[in-house]
Amino acid sequence: MTAPVRSWRLATRLGWRLAAVMTLGVLLAAGGVAWRTLATIRSLDDAALQSQARLVADQIATDAAGRPVLRLPEELAAAFAESDGESLYIVCDAAGRPLLASSPAAAAALQPFLPRPPAAGFFRAPPSASFPDGLLGVLIARGKWRVAVAQAHEQQEALVESLLREFLLSAVWLLVPIGAATVTIGVLTLRHGLRPLREASAAARRIGPAVPGVRLPAAGLPLELAPLVGAVNAALARLERALDAQRRFAGEAAHALRTPLAVLTARIDALPAGAAHDALHGDADRLGRLVAQMLAMSRLDGLPLDVSAPVDLRAVAAAALAALAPLAVRRGVELELADAPALPDVRGNAAALEMALANLIDNAIAHAPAGSTVTVALAAPATLTVSDRGPGVPAAERAAVFGRFHSRRPGGAGLGLAIVAGVAAAHGGSAGVEPRDGGGAVFVLRLGTVAAGPLAAADHAADQILPVQPA
Amino acid sequence: MRLLVVEDEAALAALIGAALQRAGFAVDAADGLRAADDCLRVASYDAAILDLGLSDGDGMTLLARLRRGGDALPVLILTARDAPEDRVGGLDAGADDYLVKPFHMPELVSRVRALLRRPNAALGVRLEAGNLALDTVTRQAAAGDAALPLTARETSLLEMLLRRTGRVVPREAIEQGLYGFDTPTGTNAVEVAVHRLRRRLQDAGASVRIHTLRGVGYMLTGE
Repeated sequence: MTAPVRSWRLATRLGWRLAAVMTLGVLLAAGGVAWRTLATIRSLDDAALQSQARLVADQIATDAAGRPVLRLPEELAAAFAESDGESLYIVCDAAGRPLLASSPAAAAALQPFLPRPPAAGFFRAPPSASFPDGLLGVLIARGKWRVAVAQAHEQQEALVESLLREFLLSAVWLLVPIGAATVTIGVLTLRHGLRPLREASAAARRIGPAVPGVRLPAAGLPLELAPLVGAVNAALARLERALDAQRRFAGEAAHALRTPLAVLTARIDALPAGAAHDALHGDADRLGRLVAQMLAMSRLDGLPLDVSAPVDLRAVAAAALAALAPLAVRRGVELELADAPALPDVRGNAAALEMALANLIDNAIAHAPAGSTVTVALAAPATLTVSDRGPGVPAAERAAVFGRFHSRRPGGAGLGLAIVAGVAAAHGGSAGVEPRDGGGAVFVLRLGTVAAGPLAAADHAADQILPVQPA
Repeated sequence: MRLLVVEDEAALAALIGAALQRAGFAVDAADGLRAADDCLRVASYDAAILDLGLSDGDGMTLLARLRRGGDALPVLILTARDAPEDRVGGLDAGADDYLVKPFHMPELVSRVRALLRRPNAALGVRLEAGNLALDTVTRQAAAGDAALPLTARETSLLEMLLRRTGRVVPREAIEQGLYGFDTPTGTNAVEVAVHRLRRRLQDAGASVRIHTLRGVGYMLTGE
């Protein structure tokens, strides 16, 4: 048994994957933009910090006591003042002692970074109570002074954040129409490309035992599908050859067996009437029946039965009864077809069904007492029954009677009911036997119900029921 | 009456030929398609018995050629092939009857007679079963030596049954043959007609029986 496989649509899968890839692309691009922006801002910040530090250092003068005095130009002083404490500076001596600061908070925050002796370079202050996002700063040396300028970290993050938001927003606006267009074009291309596949499927549906010569059309198929179609067609060709060989063999076997049997029967018929003639006659008949049933059985085994034609079950029943009427008259058994409302045609094989029903009627005649009636009846949706007043079939034997070479009468080949079961199975149905009220057996041939649907005129013309000889 | 037997199994051809000659026919035998063509060219036949699996080809091609040429020669196919599609194919190709080997010689002879009794065929005049006879031209029936007066409708019914002696005539076929297509269905006109004919035959001492297959049709057998 194979595990159930979830079926999926190529177009749906393509659509989802395209959408996923595009979303991923946008996210990667956003990440890239954010990273680039951050790096740029950082280097810009670094440059700005450095130039601020230089500017501050430029303005350091020394008073009479040898202490630094800072006289910032107005703009720079305003910039530090307006930054609301987020831009800060500190000036210290070479030993790292703080001498001047933009604010007491700045002095407290920057003091830990004033090394002894302080070294020039960038530094990063971890978050603290006054600067929850930390500080980014630079320390430069100018003469005997060291100048550190720092900026609250938060500002650049906010900038990057807003930039990203802008980018994503505009990307989504772009992504939606472009994505929709891509998915639509992808799905349409796929559908268009798969149209020949649908045509190939329609062709495949026509393939059956009766028309094994159909091949899938390769024209117009995308190159990707050509190997599949080629392989399927090659497999079909092999099957057709095998079927053909099987059919030829069945035909040749029939010819090889029946021709000498025909000669034998004809020679017996030419003998003068008498006991020996009658006995030989009976033997030849038995042999003929056996050959006919073996051939029918091997055909059922080896060749698929075409069950696609519309079949009128009432006509099948009438033809089978008519074929067995001479036998019934010889045995003194009455045959009848029970009245029934008309049934719609079913899909099946009329000749095979007639053979199966004829086997059931033949069987019933063999077991029915003289003077009794064998009744064939039809029931909706597609059931045929053959009822007799014979001894019936014991419960223990009911399944076995449909087995091969299970004969219930002297001289029987034991294949007739096996053929019935085979024909029923080929029609997706079953054969069975039940006891009949008041004594006897009811053989039931139940077909898988496939209504024939509306029929073309040509269908009806082909649907003729032909009389068969009793097997 | 001259018959052509096309059969490549020599023993079987000889036995068939002997049986048909005993039944009063002149018989020519051909052992293949070419021989059959030769026979058909030089002689005129009333019916042919045609085997399908011949050593030099398929008998079906001969039948197809005959029918294409407008030849209505009655043909009985005698073959080992009994697959349903063969049967249908043979009758579609224009065969008048189809008999599967092995067969009983009396059956073959009576089928050949039935072919010849078809309207416009060689034996179209006198139909017989048991001691009953019907002249299809004069429309006179007789049981033994006694004339059997019948109505036109009874005569038609008897003719339909006699043309298929030993085989079932569908009820629908009788209904259409007697009353045409405009009979209201569900009437028991056919049953009444058969019942009446049965009584007439019985009264006249005819040694035939009309069997009823309820729901299917009727079959006349001679005793």
